[in-house]
Amino acid sequence: MIAHAGHWLVNLLYALPVVVVGGLLGWQVVKDRLAQRRERGAGPEAGG
Amino acid sequence: MSRRCRIAAAAGGALLAAALLTPAGASAHGLVGRQDLPIPRWLFAWGAAVVLVASFVALGTLWAKPRLQAVRERRVAGLPRALEVVLGLLGIAAFAAVVYAGFAGTQTPTANLAPTAIYVVLWVGVPVLSLLFGDVFRAVNPWRAVARGVGWAAKRVAGRGGLPEPLPYPERLGRWPAALGLLAFAWVELVWAQRDDPSSLAVLALVYAAVQLLGMALYGVEPWTRRGDAFSAYFSLVARMSPLRWQRRGMWVRPVLGGVPSLSPVPGTVALLCVLIGTTSFDGLTQGTLWNDVAPDLQAFFGDLGLNQDRAIEAAFTVGMLVCVLGVAALYRLGVEGVRTVGAGRPARELAGAFVHSLVPIALAYAVAHYFSLLVYQGQAMAYLASDPLGEGSDLFGTASATIDYGVIGANGIWYVQVGALILGHVAGLVLAHDRALVLYGEARDATRSQLWMLAVMIGFTSLGLWLLSASAQA
Repeated sequence: MIAHAGHWLVNLLYALPVVVVGGLLGWQVVKDRLAQRRERGAGPEAGG
Repeated sequence: MSRRCRIAAAAGGALLAAALLTPAGASAHGLVGRQDLPIPRWLFAWGAAVVLVASFVALGTLWAKPRLQAVRERRVAGLPRALEVVLGLLGIAAFAAVVYAGFAGTQTPTANLAPTAIYVVLWVGVPVLSLLFGDVFRAVNPWRAVARGVGWAAKRVAGRGGLPEPLPYPERLGRWPAALGLLAFAWVELVWAQRDDPSSLAVLALVYAAVQLLGMALYGVEPWTRRGDAFSAYFSLVARMSPLRWQRRGMWVRPVLGGVPSLSPVPGTVALLCVLIGTTSFDGLTQGTLWNDVAPDLQAFFGDLGLNQDRAIEAAFTVGMLVCVLGVAALYRLGVEGVRTVGAGRPARELAGAFVHSLVPIALAYAVAHYFSLLVYQGQAMAYLASDPLGEGSDLFGTASATIDYGVIGANGIWYVQVGALILGHVAGLVLAHDRALVLYGEARDATRSQLWMLAVMIGFTSLGLWLLSASAQA
């Protein structure tokens, strides 16, 4: 399998742009959710 | 070393390692023979992704309000009614010639007019013509011409009001008949063991014509042609991208892509486009090594169930084709689910319909990319097939001795056209989706954020398309 890495690795390289963009989007979603949670958590403190 | 420098160095190292491991190594094994490209093929996929990201950024900054939702059309020429009749008769004559050649001609596929006329001229050539000149198929559509002729004659005989009105076309049917028709055509082309047999194709052409005539008799000529006739539905979708539109006996000019946003997302529209992209993908997949590794196991499975060899192969290919169509649908659905996370969380069904028109240029891009060489090479065969449609030695137009010039474009040229078509098609898809998002979300920021997901889908489709092309080029 390792000896033939050149044959199958190239297939993975085609998917890399999708993985990068998908990863960035996923990271953004996580960041958004964390920010929302932080805002919710900060709400009562700011009010009280 | 700063963090950025380390990341850049790591990325450069990974790139170098990948370049050393892949195409150069592969070519050393003699797997890359036909093309002599200056960079590895996978770098084209990365380059295409960069172009899409750059286009996305440019759209986000420079395209702040909708421009394609209601375009202005300008009438530039009128057309005589007689032309409609003449073109309709030409369409009927061409259809009759193909069917006759299928039955009466030699059964050698390359020497008979029918296979090339159906698989090359109709399936590949007409979409290209539709992109350039608008919905030309509508003018020469033989079954539409027959139905209109019969309707005209029946009205003359029965008098006005003497004929019953057609049934209203059921809304829930939408474009489902066309989607199923295209799936059936793709099955014939890619799966059926007798796909090249001229007489079998002639029988299928007659069956298809009969179904269309029945549909038009039930629901009226225009409603059925728009949504029920698979070929009309496909070609009219592509024609929406054309700067030319033929209507009300005139030629109208509009911006390129200007006709696509008005596509009504009736039921079956998403399915129709997924069938187009998925079946073309499957065609590419079957020419690569991955499918050749998987197919024997699938065939063996169906063979064990008691199917003979031909049926087992057909069953395996049917499964592969359906998986590809469902895979394309899943990728699109993934993008829609991502879009849902932005704004007011609209229903997925509504969003799938709202952005489905952005798949139209992608479907054409896939078709051009996968069938360009077929059109360029096998399309030349029409020169001798037109003169000798039966393959029995006639020379009607003096071109029977013409041959196919395989030097008209090289392997590299084909690859560049394929890459260019895929990139252009996906950039067009991004433009259409962004323009629609501006309408849906109002604020440019939300529109751009929602389209990040569509960007991922477009990059996914581009990478998939280039991978399939690359795999078939290496096989």
